[in-house]
Amino acid sequence: MARSMCWHCQSEMAGEYFCERCVKVQPVSKDLDYFTCMGFPRRLTIDPRQLETKFYELSRAFHPDFYQNKSAEEQTISLGNSAMLNTAYRTLRDPIQRAEYLLDLEAGAVKDIRTSPPADLFEEILELQDTLDEYRAADRDSGAAATLCAKLQSERTTLERRQQDMEASLQQLFTQWDALQDRGEATDRARAERDRILKHMRDILSNRTYVKNIVNDLVATIS
Amino acid sequence: MAYSDKVVDHFNNPRNMGSFKKDEEGVGTGMVGAPECGDVMKLQIKVQNDTIVDAKFKTFGCGSAIASSSLATEWLKGKTIEEAQKIKNTDIVQELNLPPVKIHCSVLAEDAIKAALADYQKKADGVLADAK
Repeated sequence: MARSMCWHCQSEMAGEYFCERCVKVQPVSKDLDYFTCMGFPRRLTIDPRQLETKFYELSRAFHPDFYQNKSAEEQTISLGNSAMLNTAYRTLRDPIQRAEYLLDLEAGAVKDIRTSPPADLFEEILELQDTLDEYRAADRDSGAAATLCAKLQSERTTLERRQQDMEASLQQLFTQWDALQDRGEATDRARAERDRILKHMRDILSNRTYVKNIVNDLVATIS
Repeated sequence: MAYSDKVVDHFNNPRNMGSFKKDEEGVGTGMVGAPECGDVMKLQIKVQNDTIVDAKFKTFGCGSAIASSSLATEWLKGKTIEEAQKIKNTDIVQELNLPPVKIHCSVLAEDAIKAALADYQKKADGVLADAK
């Protein structure tokens, strides 16, 4: 990683997180993205064991416990680096959060990544919300409640299936993204493909959140 | 961080909850969502002679989102289209005392107002075009 100078001995930095000359720990730059911080390329398929190994390795290097006898500067750096590392690990560990994060990183380059809201889905959610309210207000032992409950159950099955479909589509997009990254082309076609993947990913991720919320509500109410 | 009294009040006694028929004359519908939290908001206005005579909302989301849209419908009633355009999310933040993490709820309400106004305008222009 390119870095300018060691904060302590002012020598040019060649090492990654430690100065090669004075061996002092170096602050992880705030501008560094989590992928780079963890030493991974911007791919969406990450081997969790590999990520964990890297996390442990860096944790050992940065952990405040190992800096108790060091200078105040080094203690502050160790604390900052550890915090950054924890967030980086938490973000990259979860495939959905990882994708959301990648979109944030790439969003600047993709104009108008937010597409029109899915009106049909919204209507459906609000309608379902009405049925939920009706069910909540109904006498639990009544026939009406039983009918509503059966309806909600079937909605739940449908929505959960849709959620699974979305996750499958996301997985496909992840693979496409990674293939594109691996090819590393800089052609117009590659750029168009990249924008298409990111936009599609943004859409599915948003819709997935809406569906997930209503499913959670359904589960909490009828079970 | 606790919700302010005003948020709790709007949450417990939401004003103007419900909906109009979308294709009813003079009705504008705004449907917006926040992909970050999954909140969904529907806000509708009923316009007569350039004035909003009634407004309704339906929100699926957190207390602040419900309060923001409830307040928005209260403010919209009696306003002209032009006045309604001027409602800002910051006004809602101030009125409801929303904490920084809930500001996006007020943004959602402003977006919903704008969307409802735009929908009404689109429909009104369509009627004019048909009449010609």
